[in-house]
Amino acid sequence: MKNQEHTKATRYGMAIDLDKCTGCGVCVIACASENNVPVMYDESDKTRNISWMQVYILTNGSQFPHTKVIYIPRPCMQCDNPPCVPVCPATATRKDPNTGIVSQIYARCVGCRYCMAACPYHARDFNWFDPHFPEGTDRYLSPEVSPRTRGVVEKCTFCHHRLMRARTRAYREGRRDLREDEYIPACAQACPAKAITFGDLNNPGHTVSRLIKSPYVFRLLGRLGTEPKVYYISSEDWVRRMADNYLPGEFKGRG
Amino acid sequence: MEFRRRNFIKFAVGGLGGTLLSPLPWKLIDDIAIWTQNWPWVSVPARGRFSTTNTVCTLCPGACGIEVGKVGSRAVKIEGRDDYPVNWGGICPLGMAGLQILYNEGIRWKAPMKGIGPRGSKEWKEISWAEAIHELATRIKRLRDRGEPEKLAAIDGNQSRSTMAVLIKRLLDAVGSPNYLSMPTQEDTHAMATFLMQGTKGPVAFDLENSDFVLSFGCGLLDGWGAPGRMLGVWREWAKDSSRNRAYLVQIEPRASNTASKADQWLAPLPGTEAALALGIAHVIIKEELYKKEFIEDHTFGFTNWFGANGVEHEGFSGIVLEKYAPQRVEDITGIKTSVIIEVARQFALARAPIALAGRGKGMLPGSLYEFMAVHALNALVGRVNKEGGVLVTNDIPLAQWSDLAYDPVAIGGLKKERVDRAGTPRYPFTKSLIHKFTEAIHESPRSPVDTLLICSANPAYTIPDSQRFIEAMAKVPCIVSFSPFMDETSLMADLILPDHTHLEKMVDIVWPTGIQYPLYALSRPVVGPLYRTRHSGDVIISLAKRIGGPVAGSFQWTCFEEALKERVRGLYDSGKGKTSYSESEPVWRGLATEVRLSSAYSSFKSMWEDLKENGCWYMPSHAFGKWSDAFQTPSKKFEFFSTNIEGALKAHSKGKSFDDALLHLGISSKGDEVYLPHYEEIRSRADEREYPLVLIPIELINLASGWIANSPFLQKTLFDHQLKRDDLFVEVNPKTASKYGLEEGSKVALRSPQGELKVRVHLFDGAMPDVIFIPFGLGHTAYDRYLRGRGVNPNEIIDQIEDPLGGHPVWWNTRVKMIKI
Repeated sequence: MKNQEHTKATRYGMAIDLDKCTGCGVCVIACASENNVPVMYDESDKTRNISWMQVYILTNGSQFPHTKVIYIPRPCMQCDNPPCVPVCPATATRKDPNTGIVSQIYARCVGCRYCMAACPYHARDFNWFDPHFPEGTDRYLSPEVSPRTRGVVEKCTFCHHRLMRARTRAYREGRRDLREDEYIPACAQACPAKAITFGDLNNPGHTVSRLIKSPYVFRLLGRLGTEPKVYYISSEDWVRRMADNYLPGEFKGRG
Repeated sequence: MEFRRRNFIKFAVGGLGGTLLSPLPWKLIDDIAIWTQNWPWVSVPARGRFSTTNTVCTLCPGACGIEVGKVGSRAVKIEGRDDYPVNWGGICPLGMAGLQILYNEGIRWKAPMKGIGPRGSKEWKEISWAEAIHELATRIKRLRDRGEPEKLAAIDGNQSRSTMAVLIKRLLDAVGSPNYLSMPTQEDTHAMATFLMQGTKGPVAFDLENSDFVLSFGCGLLDGWGAPGRMLGVWREWAKDSSRNRAYLVQIEPRASNTASKADQWLAPLPGTEAALALGIAHVIIKEELYKKEFIEDHTFGFTNWFGANGVEHEGFSGIVLEKYAPQRVEDITGIKTSVIIEVARQFALARAPIALAGRGKGMLPGSLYEFMAVHALNALVGRVNKEGGVLVTNDIPLAQWSDLAYDPVAIGGLKKERVDRAGTPRYPFTKSLIHKFTEAIHESPRSPVDTLLICSANPAYTIPDSQRFIEAMAKVPCIVSFSPFMDETSLMADLILPDHTHLEKMVDIVWPTGIQYPLYALSRPVVGPLYRTRHSGDVIISLAKRIGGPVAGSFQWTCFEEALKERVRGLYDSGKGKTSYSESEPVWRGLATEVRLSSAYSSFKSMWEDLKENGCWYMPSHAFGKWSDAFQTPSKKFEFFSTNIEGALKAHSKGKSFDDALLHLGISSKGDEVYLPHYEEIRSRADEREYPLVLIPIELINLASGWIANSPFLQKTLFDHQLKRDDLFVEVNPKTASKYGLEEGSKVALRSPQGELKVRVHLFDGAMPDVIFIPFGLGHTAYDRYLRGRGVNPNEIIDQIEDPLGGHPVWWNTRVKMIKI
């Protein structure tokens, strides 16, 4: 049912190739500077800091010298079946049926953090403090994204303002459809290894819709049924196995 | 209606129901949410016209093209440019966080300052630019009047070919001081190795895009080495698909870094034994006759035995390697299995376009000279010197020379004096500058041999090994002048601060970005006007020279820095070659082999200058591959395994003493002909191995800026909490080593070396070599703002400097430490 709903509409999604990702962190910074994400004095406090895009590190667990590390950049999964939406008492978050993007309306958010409890990916951050920018750096804030205040939950929006910008331009030129490269979130644009591919999952012409058919594709905690629209690609079995919870012997690799 | 209890309840319940059915409560919740979010202290970004400006990021010598998004006059976003030849549309995390460097008020000097009160008291008085320049000029004039111009010294972190560096060097020359020091980088070691083996002075150029087998001896290719934008682009090309065209990457280093993890094969030799491994590989290639005979015969010198002018037989490279570096012996030295050495050697020799790279980490600190030579010898063995996908032999960019300096007798007298660091003297014959020897000289003399020290684009008090010693030495220097735009460790020790603009406020150039395989001249331009009362250091140097007057002023006829720079750029126009525009569809590396002779498309210098400013680059997308006649500039006119330059230098140095003493003095432990050939030198710490049983290796991370430019708050976001937790820095320790010491994840330990002690926490990491401790560079600042100050520790404080044989640069990856649980 759910998928049928969207067969016609656009379904923006992302494929992140972990074989290419080198964990450099550019996506994190591109995201933070694009979206006016505040900075704390102590950014090592990972329970309080805000980072819409978070990079996780995984180790294959083998002993020296067979150890390998890989990185998993984690934006909001933009689930097709988002657990955060039904729990919001203030209707501050909803999934756009036309794009599949899960929005967050800061002005409506009352800060109850039900959505944070519901999200299995820790993709949502709460503003425990008033937003803070190092002295003088409020001069680089972008007027396209409103800064948030204390007591509000925020998260990755797939750089929704970029979609608005692209749409405005398209309308001005008399087009209703966007080209593939017209709307790309900041992280995907910035990735120097081009590990992140963004586009319409429903459009067979978009690279991303081809990529997610790879046999090496997986989604984080896919078995929860949240249907994330962020796909990962890894040719390594151990990476795919770590992406979900399996019983011993249950995982069937494709490598 | 009578007011009764029942009616009252009816009314209340009805009212409540009615209200709930109306939009009022929902509207109120919404409004309350909005009201409670409207505070005057929450920033509201000002609106304005959107625009973009193209420029070049000059935070490192990588020179990536960037596009800066602006709203009105404010810069709001940095993106990588895909219409720029270097960086494939990508940039590194530091470049991406560039706006925090520009706008962060807490780290910037806002006006020229003069220290009042005792040094280090951090009391400053704001002064005018005229006063500041007058004060410095008077001081330099006084030195010249006293006939001691050599007491002026400069420590410069600008890229060595850049106009800023050339200008500062010119000032010292004109004043009459030989004491111009550049901050040490890996390019220094590459330059020495290239000079000794090829005789060329052009930059080292790796045609990585066209290689299909990369043997990296420790270069953090995906950890920020070279121009990071380019390297991650190259990685994209290598990793494009799993087809047969994919490059095979072998990473050699003692830690599972990003590069090692992404590599097709990871070899972990014992730290410091990379040269032995390279020669072990060479042994297999020579023994199995897999080397390129044609290249070896036609273009190399010293491969086989040969007779010198006096009839003495010299041993060739092949003989010594066959004799001394059998894989079994190399296994004993490096810990890499014989079978692996043989297999890698065969793969390397049989690949279509193999390349061997020497280096370490991001390449910000110098390497070991003989090791670099040993690795480069591999390139020669498989004939990859000046071949597509190999190491290219280069000449410098055709920039115009400025008019000759006007030396007066004072300057001539001063320039005859020996350099304080003794670089370039028979003691360090091939080295450009040695900052640790400079430190030592000041330390050891009762009165500082330097009176006025200029420090540009560098933060030696933080970035050089054994930084504490540098700080102590600086206390003896009567006057320190900092040009830093940032309140860094070094500028806080200064007496006079002449703050420069930051990278987005000024025009500077980078001449031939690190490691790029074709000539490229990168030019940045101001994206925003100066935010504070800072001034371009180039302009300051020119005004200073004018103020000093006399013949010094005569050598600086320009009105501003841009004019001086433009004069050099004229050479590019006059060469009649090159391009200033780039399209992603025609990557330079693809067309290098086809010799394109580009005629200049410019009608006048002015039109080229405008295009250069707009696009930020001039480059030559071709390379003369088959040209061998004057490729090598060594005395033998060939690629030298046996370096005649080392022979000459040793002769000069051993004048008046025994040859063995001379070797000892230069730190060379080998004997005989091996001295002139690439070979393995065991670099030993003076510390007792029983007392200090572990080895400490600093690591460089791509997302932790460790050079002159400090880490910015955005980059702190990307650190894991097993790297930094509150103020505690974590070191990586193998679980086996940790269990020996009874340590768990997060345990607090003290690391003690003969130089000092650091308190850190332990992160258990399987990818760390047992008995080796890995500590990241880039934290532990004592200056800057609250975001950075006091977070973590700086490994430089306890690094034991061991002098690299012959080259003389400090070896920074071999400090012996002990670990104490606290």
